[in-house]
Amino acid sequence: MFGSLATLQPRQLAAQVLNFALVLSTAFMLWKGLSVFTDSSSPIVVVLSGSMEPAFQRGDLLFLWNRGQETQVGEVVVYNVRGKDIPIVHRVIRRFGGGSAPLQLLTKGDNNAADDTELYARGQSYLDRSQDVIGSVVGYVPFVGYVTILLSEYPWLKTAMLVFMALTVVLQRE
Amino acid sequence: MAEAKISPHSLNDLKNTTDDALANYLRGLQFRQDNTKLDVRLAIGYASVVIAAVTFTADYKLGWEATKGWTAVAVVAYALLNGAFTYWTWGVEKGCVFDGVKEGRKISVASKTNKHEPTYYLTVTDSGSAASARQIQAPFTTWFTADGYFVAKPFQQWLASSVEAIGAADVKNASRAETEEATAPGPEEIETVAQSTGSAQASGTESKSKSSKRSKRKG
Repeated sequence: MFGSLATLQPRQLAAQVLNFALVLSTAFMLWKGLSVFTDSSSPIVVVLSGSMEPAFQRGDLLFLWNRGQETQVGEVVVYNVRGKDIPIVHRVIRRFGGGSAPLQLLTKGDNNAADDTELYARGQSYLDRSQDVIGSVVGYVPFVGYVTILLSEYPWLKTAMLVFMALTVVLQRE
Repeated sequence: MAEAKISPHSLNDLKNTTDDALANYLRGLQFRQDNTKLDVRLAIGYASVVIAAVTFTADYKLGWEATKGWTAVAVVAYALLNGAFTYWTWGVEKGCVFDGVKEGRKISVASKTNKHEPTYYLTVTDSGSAASARQIQAPFTTWFTADGYFVAKPFQQWLASSVEAIGAADVKNASRAETEEATAPGPEEIETVAQSTGSAQASGTESKSKSSKRSKRKG
């Protein structure tokens, strides 16, 4: 199979490599386009825990929207704890400030007994809307995100998938 | 390259092998190949890949907040380049496999196939003749053996006898095809091909001659 690749003309080889590169770059730019559109660094997230059951289950895919910063009590937001890079999906139960003053939020998981002050970074007792929150949940698809949970729990799956994709794209001409 | 065995069930393989052989054949006939169309496609494509790569690196190093504005610009630029790329591939190249010049005579060949139909369609534009594009077609079985080997001779004869500019450059193949057209394919023709390609492919050449008969009956 690689023999047929070696006999290609330089231009054809360049075109072949380009096909593969375009698949990757287009996927990446679509993601970035969605980021720009929603004004969120991560417009699609997967629920990793059961702390929001029964609203959201592990593996649900959430769509976020981050334009319009006036988040209300009852909205479900995704935020990053300062210093950690794990997005958490919880409901806003109290808000303070807003308007011209910076908006501060307190969140809690529907399925948790206590609010999130324990989860926040040391010395932090509320979320800063503009800094900590990635977006509000505006839509979801149940269960689909389980694929990514599997991929992150079994890293070799990721490698296998990437290698398989690369091979099929490079070895098949259009 | 043309000697490699391919799967005769894959229309893609049939077409790609034939496309490669066609370009090789015309280069061999001293047509000076003009790669402008492919080069433009490569330039557009790689430019957009570079934009994506730079965006990725900036995002990785500086984070979302710092790169927001430029990311928006990059996304728009990428979308425009991608549109241009698609337009160029489908609107300008249109399956072009060879552009070339010989003695001031420009020839442009584009190929295509239809799904589930083992026929090779060529659109030939020739500045030497009445300028308008001409369509020719032939079943792949004319130059592929049943087990997937490409046989150059019948392919070159088909091209030389159906395209005037190629026939003018390759008189031998063109005239040979004409005499073959006049008389039914004699056994000596099959024998010479079988000898030159080796006994291992004798069964394949038989299928080739069968198919050429079939195509003649159709036409």
